[in-house]
Amino acid sequence: MSEYIVEMRHITKRFPGIVANDDISIGIKKGEIFAFLGENGAGKSTLMSMLFGMYEPDEGEILVRGEKVKLSSSNEAAALNIGMVHQHFKLVDNYTIAENIILGIEPIKKIGGFIPYVDCKGAQEKIRELSKAYGLEVDPCQIVETVNVSIQQRVEILKMLYREAEILIFDEPTAVLTPQEIQYLLDIMEELRNKGKTIILITHKLEEIKRIADRCAILRRGKLVKVLNVNETTTQEMANLMVGREVVFEQEKSPANFGEVLLEVEDLTVRNEDKFDVVKNVNFSIRRGEIFAIAGVSGNGQIEIADAIAGLIKPQKGAIKLKGKDITDESIRRRTEDGMSYIPEDRQRLGVILDFSLEDNLAIKRYYREPFSQKGILKREGFQKFAEELIDRYDIRSGQGAKTTTRSMSGGNQQKAIVAREISLESDLMIFVQPTRGLDIGAIENIQKHILRERDKGKAVLLISLELDEVMSLADTIGVIYNGELQKISPAEELTTNQVGEYMMGVKS
Amino acid sequence: MNAKKERVPGNGLGGRIINALDDDRLSQFAIPVVSIILTILAAAALLLVLGKNPATAMTGFLRGSGFMMKPIYGGGQSMLTDFLSFLGILAPMLLAALGIIIGMKSGMFNIGMAGQMLAAGFIATVFVGYSGLNAYLAKPLVILLGILTGGLIGAIIGFLKYRFNIHEVVSSIMFNYIISYIVAFFINTYYKDIITRSSRVCSAASRLSITGVTWGTSKLTLPLGIILALAGVFLVKFLLDRTVVGFEMKAVGLNRDCAKYAGVNVGKSIILAMALSGVFGGLAGVTYYVGYFNSIVPKELASLGYDSIAVALLGNISPIGAIFSSILITIFQKGSIYMSSTVGVPKEIASVITGILLLFSACGTYMRYLARRQRERLADKAKKEGVQ
Repeated sequence: MSEYIVEMRHITKRFPGIVANDDISIGIKKGEIFAFLGENGAGKSTLMSMLFGMYEPDEGEILVRGEKVKLSSSNEAAALNIGMVHQHFKLVDNYTIAENIILGIEPIKKIGGFIPYVDCKGAQEKIRELSKAYGLEVDPCQIVETVNVSIQQRVEILKMLYREAEILIFDEPTAVLTPQEIQYLLDIMEELRNKGKTIILITHKLEEIKRIADRCAILRRGKLVKVLNVNETTTQEMANLMVGREVVFEQEKSPANFGEVLLEVEDLTVRNEDKFDVVKNVNFSIRRGEIFAIAGVSGNGQIEIADAIAGLIKPQKGAIKLKGKDITDESIRRRTEDGMSYIPEDRQRLGVILDFSLEDNLAIKRYYREPFSQKGILKREGFQKFAEELIDRYDIRSGQGAKTTTRSMSGGNQQKAIVAREISLESDLMIFVQPTRGLDIGAIENIQKHILRERDKGKAVLLISLELDEVMSLADTIGVIYNGELQKISPAEELTTNQVGEYMMGVKS
Repeated sequence: MNAKKERVPGNGLGGRIINALDDDRLSQFAIPVVSIILTILAAAALLLVLGKNPATAMTGFLRGSGFMMKPIYGGGQSMLTDFLSFLGILAPMLLAALGIIIGMKSGMFNIGMAGQMLAAGFIATVFVGYSGLNAYLAKPLVILLGILTGGLIGAIIGFLKYRFNIHEVVSSIMFNYIISYIVAFFINTYYKDIITRSSRVCSAASRLSITGVTWGTSKLTLPLGIILALAGVFLVKFLLDRTVVGFEMKAVGLNRDCAKYAGVNVGKSIILAMALSGVFGGLAGVTYYVGYFNSIVPKELASLGYDSIAVALLGNISPIGAIFSSILITIFQKGSIYMSSTVGVPKEIASVITGILLLFSACGTYMRYLARRQRERLADKAKKEGVQ
């Protein structure tokens, strides 16, 4: 038997217009945490999807426990004790956690020996034991849609463990989590490794790899660049290999040059559907040339502030003024025309129409104007020309250029498309919510550069981010939100990361 | 870089079908064609079980629709008479399907087509059909009333959806009942023909057809509705593909949240889409009741209103596709009367065949999946043989 539990030899996979994996050979040892690092669209997810039986390689072979296997469905992968947690969870929202976990392999008992029924009680017991053994706290009776993403992810992990998976694949597991939740997840992964599981981690976050991975394979544009022992390398080296050039971690920031006040938010209160005030009497203003960042733990009302300013939800009370004009009751379109860009948090639900082509999505805020249409008639060449310009300038990668269906693009490239569209509106006020979430380091660098450039052009930027590092490195002014209230508004240079963290947790006030 | 998918080795017929079914561009044509072939085979099997000759039955459908000569014709009848009559009923089918398509593209299911047709047909019959206006005034008025009535009902359904979040399927089915009973009440009270028990026949001047044309020995009725329907096809295609309004409707249909975020007035778009869907329902209604049948049977909703849903789906929810699917389904519906009288199978078999057709076309994705799997299997085999 070979030293590898999983071996992939000379794997090549093509999709229309793109070679996703080009002659990749890799071996993964039992009981290690093996990371795949690469930019968005580098081919990490494709490679692992083949191990999980979702695609079959065009060329090459896969060996599991030394034996050659042909995986043509995820069932076959499951039979080999391979499990995967996808980037977008695959759960039935209105089922309980236990029901989701046993779905497909329900334990059947028989009443009186012949009437079959699903043994939910037994399953719940087993799930409780599993969750205790691995420290994955869940309540098996809860309905999935009522729990947060972090718990949903635990459910996905439990699903694999329940199926007795030995090889666990995690596809960008931390992209949707807050910093605390990430800590927790990384601990869980180490725990799993200590119990003898083999873990494959797909990510583009260097710190995570540095913290828990044993070895790391770096992919770039479908090719395997190098396999590194993580403790013999540095994050800088990994970053450079991944992007293929020298990477700058800290953005260079020119001194601020504030102009007149552009956005004023007065006494803003937002009530959610459950009649609960999620934003309470918030006051702040943003000047031209200023990046105003709202820092806070997810779910403290920062998204609602952005939605209210953009007009997606009606505030309970308060006023929003743009360039001195009260826009509280204006339509969304009117606000866009007054000079407002908005990059929303939920990119697939709000930011794009997945079944539209890339060019349609890039024009979705301006299709009714020249050069996209004239007198109500669309001008297709205008769409295409504009799209090609943005694709080029923002390095949006897609299989078939402007005509690609957005659904078929990778999440990171969808995000780049949204950012490109919103910046190209050249609005005076730009609202960025989690602009770099789920992006690789090269793309993050690029987008942060754009944000700074817009600021230097005299735009007002409202940045809402869960990444404290991002807030600290970009913001001119920081407002810390906790429980719907702005705890502290202060120039960025007067706050340390630790202080911001304390305000975020509501410890200090 | 080889971006193209591998073709199945060998150029046999099977291989070609498999390739066509799994081709990104070809599959939208290949899947309906394969569904139709499968349907014909299934129908033939059914007829065989009933002890009838499938070939005579199939040609019976074509003969009844004026696509093939009947062995004998009655006085003043010919293949051309049948074909024009076929076009006369094809027009409302196609128009109604266009209405369904507009709705579906905007994310709404206008299942109340039959009610909108009935209302438009009734209003046009009462106000123009019984008025004695001359043809030049009457015909455009009928069309206008059809547009207004259908459009208004559609708009109300859209408004209920937007303002009160009442699902359009529920409200439009309720509208079907309301319209059906109100129309029946008025016909029974004021407009009933004692002998036929339907409404009195509308004037020839008002009908969207030209009657009493003779050509050789046959008496012909020239359907005007088909011109309307074909113009409608291109209008809808243009609306959906090339206009700002169509772009907004599709955006709302595919992702309402994103459309709102992008600044589309979602409410306006929903109401407009339902109104337009109703307009085509109204047009279908006037060509059906004032042009083809020329009278209204009380308390009866046209089954054509529901068949149009099948037409829209079979045509891949595209206006051009609807031309072909409406012809096909109308051949079965229209030809069934003649087929039934010559072969002796009840004419309801037409609805059975329509049902089978829908069933197969609904399996389109599955067919594509089967084709892909088969292709991969063949490619694997070829590779292995190549190695050895």
